[in-house]
Amino acid sequence: MVKVSFAFKSTIDAMIGGAGHSLCFQCGACVGDCPAAQYSTRFNPRQIMLDAVLGLADRLVTEDSVVWECTNCDNCFDHCPQDVRPVEVILALKNMIHQAGLSPKNVAPLLHSVATTGCTVAVSELINRRRRELGLPELVRPPVDELQKLLGDKKS
Amino acid sequence: MSKNGNGHKKYAPFFGCLISTKHSQFEAAVRRTMPKLGAELVDLEGFSCCPDPIYYKAADKLDWLTLAARNICIAEEAGLDLLTCCSGCTSTLREANHTLKHDAELRGKVNARLKIIGREFTGTIEVRNIAMIIRDDIGYDAVAASVTRPLENFRVAIHYGCHLLKPGAVMAVEDPAQPEILQRLLAAIGATPVWQTKHLSCCGTACQNEDMKTEIMRDNLAEFAALDVDAVGLICPTCFDQYDLGQLQISRKYQTKYEMPILYYFQMLGLAQGFTPEELGLQRHKVSAKPALAKLGLS
Repeated sequence: MVKVSFAFKSTIDAMIGGAGHSLCFQCGACVGDCPAAQYSTRFNPRQIMLDAVLGLADRLVTEDSVVWECTNCDNCFDHCPQDVRPVEVILALKNMIHQAGLSPKNVAPLLHSVATTGCTVAVSELINRRRRELGLPELVRPPVDELQKLLGDKKS
Repeated sequence: MSKNGNGHKKYAPFFGCLISTKHSQFEAAVRRTMPKLGAELVDLEGFSCCPDPIYYKAADKLDWLTLAARNICIAEEAGLDLLTCCSGCTSTLREANHTLKHDAELRGKVNARLKIIGREFTGTIEVRNIAMIIRDDIGYDAVAASVTRPLENFRVAIHYGCHLLKPGAVMAVEDPAQPEILQRLLAAIGATPVWQTKHLSCCGTACQNEDMKTEIMRDNLAEFAALDVDAVGLICPTCFDQYDLGQLQISRKYQTKYEMPILYYFQMLGLAQGFTPEELGLQRHKVSAKPALAKLGLS
């Protein structure tokens, strides 16, 4: 049975870029040029906006949520006549999924890497050697303590 | 940008994680070619990851804006515009700069956190992709004037990628449906831009579904391969990975062998300015650039 969450609206409205969903009038302009909709059997930005409007949290804020199939191309941002910015609503939903501890496995290591080294890529000796061969300056790490102060208790 | 009396142009380059580590050949190409266009790159200390506009932003938008703002603050403190070379970094830093300049509430929240480390976002600089800087501050004519070895009869399939142009209202480069900036840049070095149906398509990297990602890549590569071109030209290291390393994955999965050289625009500019393929790291690509170099008489 479909369960409507009445608290959902206030939660998503409070997320950065989340409130746009309530402007959606279901025209479907976001679908035609959406690469994810073209390649997926279940991804449809219009449907995601409708699910958000209806407060169907159980379909959106889940471990295998369809929102992760978004390719982040921003076509829907440009095509929407209502300025819903569906990609930003989808990112707000991802923020909610992450808060609930349900984001994909690759997210936590990336956050950890940035918080502890300032970089998403682990810098190896091979990388340094290739930079030297090309005559490039040595890589210098950013002051990681600054990043950790900014991130507070989320640093790991 | 900072100009002195004789029009000298200075920028703070932001190479980002991917270009400075996995694809340092692109950094070399930018560092070698820009001085020949009369632009000085002034390295600033302390930049972190932009941070990543896909998964970092997906985890927490306020953290994402805050770390982006810290990077922008470093350039503000130096009084220099940021020059980005990666479409991902362009997306994060240009959007964050735009948002924080226009949204007082978010700026307040971000500045409250930046205060802890003694910094403040003041909104005094611009963040622009290197292609936009060349078009607006340097000019296509200056690019053409720097060429000593035009890439004649060199046919290039353009791949714009998403985040140089979109979202249009934020990136404000040109109409994302009818861009011309990369065609003009290629024409300026004597190459022939080749129009194709995938020139504006997404590379698919940011999709979490591996099957979809691979299918998008397969279809884009099939389109490139059906054309009579010498290379695919692009300006984004993420798209580059998708098509360079991706060709090997596609060959394995679908038994369709592609040998399509994928070139970063500034490597092609470097060749046109007379640099050697080694100086531009062209031997580093997974798919050999040799056929393209042979066409140019460089192997």
